[in-house]
Amino acid sequence: MKKASFIAFRVVLYAILIAPLFLFGLYAFSERWFFPAPLPTQWTASIFTRIITNSRTTAGLSASLSLALIVTVLSLIIGYPAARVLGTKVFRGRSLAWLIFFIPTVVPPLAIGMGLNILFLRLGWSGTMFGVVLAHLVPTLPYTIFTLSGVFSRFDENYELQALVLGSSRLRIFLTITLRLILPGLVVASLFAFLISWSQYLLTLLIGGGKILTIPMLLFSAVSGGNPTSIAAYSLIFVAPPVIMIAASARFLTQHGNTIREQY
Amino acid sequence: MTNIELVNLKKTYPGGETPVLNHLSLTIHSGEMMALLGPSGSGKSTILKLITGIETPDEGDILFDGESILPIAPNKRGAILMFQKAYLFPFLSVEDNIGFGMKVRGDNAKTIRAEVRKMLDLIGLPGFEKRKPSQLSGGEQQRVALARALVLQPRSMLLDEPLSSLDTEVRVNLQEAIRRIQRELGITTILVTHDLNEAMGMADRVALLLDGQVAAVDQPMHLYARPPTKPTSRFVGITTFLEGELKQGHLATEQGTLTVNTNRHQADSAVFAIRPEHIRVQKEPGQNSMAGLIAECIFRGDYIEYQVAVDKQTSIRARVPMPAPLIEHGQQVYICFPPEYLFEVEPN
Repeated sequence: MKKASFIAFRVVLYAILIAPLFLFGLYAFSERWFFPAPLPTQWTASIFTRIITNSRTTAGLSASLSLALIVTVLSLIIGYPAARVLGTKVFRGRSLAWLIFFIPTVVPPLAIGMGLNILFLRLGWSGTMFGVVLAHLVPTLPYTIFTLSGVFSRFDENYELQALVLGSSRLRIFLTITLRLILPGLVVASLFAFLISWSQYLLTLLIGGGKILTIPMLLFSAVSGGNPTSIAAYSLIFVAPPVIMIAASARFLTQHGNTIREQY
Repeated sequence: MTNIELVNLKKTYPGGETPVLNHLSLTIHSGEMMALLGPSGSGKSTILKLITGIETPDEGDILFDGESILPIAPNKRGAILMFQKAYLFPFLSVEDNIGFGMKVRGDNAKTIRAEVRKMLDLIGLPGFEKRKPSQLSGGEQQRVALARALVLQPRSMLLDEPLSSLDTEVRVNLQEAIRRIQRELGITTILVTHDLNEAMGMADRVALLLDGQVAAVDQPMHLYARPPTKPTSRFVGITTFLEGELKQGHLATEQGTLTVNTNRHQADSAVFAIRPEHIRVQKEPGQNSMAGLIAECIFRGDYIEYQVAVDKQTSIRARVPMPAPLIEHGQQVYICFPPEYLFEVEPN
């Protein structure tokens, strides 16, 4: 009985998560679909292929992907030292440091965006990739820092000291021991950073000033256009990379569950 | 084979008020196993950290074969520290763990594999190459950690209570293994421990650390039987100290006059100590004896411990090996101090 209700619960959960994707799939490939037909009466892939091969879409995809990747790498590089210190050291002003890192998650993004916009206009960074990358770091950093500091709070620095006395240089220790030990945390942190940057609309719009066109912006313009087929097609393009990434890393994370446990 | 000299080391940790090491000097001969014994906070582990270079001393020097190693980077000193936990890298196999240092050094894969196999035979775990650290028991992990250090043929091995987290049986087993391998390879080794028996059983010499200084260094048997001062005596389990005026080979204490063996004829105050197992407990008075009442009589397995109240302030603890009688509380007995076992100690 318990098992049956558990299965039912899972089915409902999956349905809620998958139903919109399923609907998008139907819409994106339907040519004729009128009420009360339960399924489209005529199928076509030509609209979807036309949208995905459209130069606006490919430019948007590459802008979105490169932006998200750059932001991910930068937020890991910037977040690592902060997370390491916050996770392993106790010092005066530690809670203040936490507060500063976390302010972006509670301040409304519009406020941050407007403020940054004024500043970046003066500095000449508005409408540039550089400016948009910096703007994206504001909401991503709290998440990478939080995730990595959790890893570091359970991190035993003696592993590094052991490698040191065995002859490793500091750089080698960092690359072969430290990064390897925190790898599961790094994967989660980069997932967070990628997803937040990938789905960022407001900051890209405000700072990019329409010059940096990412997939979310194309999706918004499709939505205001009102054509269900192109909305569905853009939605599918929008959700594909995150879904693929999560699916791939979920497998990775369960595989490495053992090593996380044996370390700590 | 490396001779290690610690010269006048001083170390105060940031935020700490008293120095952990206070002008400490000690020489460890090449090929020797030296145990550092002391209560927690006596600076034992700090010495190892200074030698490896994880910490740097405020003052003083550390010499390997007469040359200072302080300017050498920690990863080039050839002083390998083994911690309480094995710290095997969880993502590497046993083989890769043992070969870690050789790979860093740039040895070729074939040499590494051959050396790893030799080490596995030496530590008694042949055929364990492909296992993961998580598949090993605590004792096996420590063995692999030992092999990982020894395979580099280090100038010195520094063991920081490497056995304290293991069960008694495994620990005794590993103590013997470490001792055997250390002798075989002749690596100068420093063992930090708070376990008196471990220090006595494993080391060639034992250094007793108290308050950041070496209070005594000697061979285990000698240190055990004749510790030089009152605090060091306490650390090796001596609880009976007799104080009084020394006159012509007799010690006049408040509880009575005792015959002692000493070169000194005259002294206003002298302190003599005796090991608890050397004190005799008997029904009749005898030479060098004092009357007292049994305050406590505890059966401890291979000996009986008597606590005898000589007067209101003085209670003397004696250990008599089995078989020995259990004596009821309040009974009068005589405790006897054989003069050959009474020895003079410095009061502090």
